[in-house]
Amino acid sequence: MQPRQNYLGAGGWVWAGKYKLERYLYLLHRITGLGLLLFGVIHLIITTFYRYRGESVWESAMSTLSNPAFRVGEYLVAAAFVFHALNGLRLIWQEFGFGLGRPAPPIYPYKDALRKKRRWAIAMIAVVAVLALVLLGDFIAGGP
Amino acid sequence: MRATRFHLLHMITGVLIAVLLGIHMVRLHLDSILDWFGVDTTGSTSWESMIARASEGIWAALYIALLAVALYHALYGLRGIILELTPSAKGGRIITWSFIIIGIGAFGWGTYVPLHLLSS
Repeated sequence: MQPRQNYLGAGGWVWAGKYKLERYLYLLHRITGLGLLLFGVIHLIITTFYRYRGESVWESAMSTLSNPAFRVGEYLVAAAFVFHALNGLRLIWQEFGFGLGRPAPPIYPYKDALRKKRRWAIAMIAVVAVLALVLLGDFIAGGP
Repeated sequence: MRATRFHLLHMITGVLIAVLLGIHMVRLHLDSILDWFGVDTTGSTSWESMIARASEGIWAALYIALLAVALYHALYGLRGIILELTPSAKGGRIITWSFIIIGIGAFGWGTYVPLHLLSS
């Protein structure tokens, strides 16, 4: 049996091989998704068990979470959410066939997926970068 | 066909999370930006502020809805990643049912606390 071309296996989770920008967006989508899931579990524990145990336990937990290390982590979670949400919306947009262009006959020089310009992906990255900077400004300004 | 419906639900819950979590993030974490618009969110993680929100039905409903869609989206996504490791059919069923049980348990506990606070 011939090996499948471009088949990266589990190694493709961290290395995109011959693929281009979207593959790295996919990797980042997966990493941010797992990070958000981990944060969600911790968040659910704190906002249920700690809240249920009363005011002093809650305030003690909030005091611990306000130290700089947790604040940096909080910022990373916010930035991960912005990326994951916007990239997810891009994926849904494309899954329904929008923004892919009309089908065209393969006439040389070919316009294939490896050489095309990625306006939507680049626009999304720009929006993510701007929102991440806005969030950073807010966190530096001293949000809770 | 059933898998297609679950995948469609994964996309729908993703959009709902973007909206509901967006509201939660702005309300609780973007205080200096909200200050520009004259909305005072000082001490939004304090006990009093948290209890005040918990006693409002609209916030309790928002959080319960967010919990439901986030659990489905997260567990379905994680299941997809694990199934990429191509377990046997039986292994796949065990993973699926484990996630269903974990999801229902987490939703039950995560819903009980806000409803308990709402009624107290």
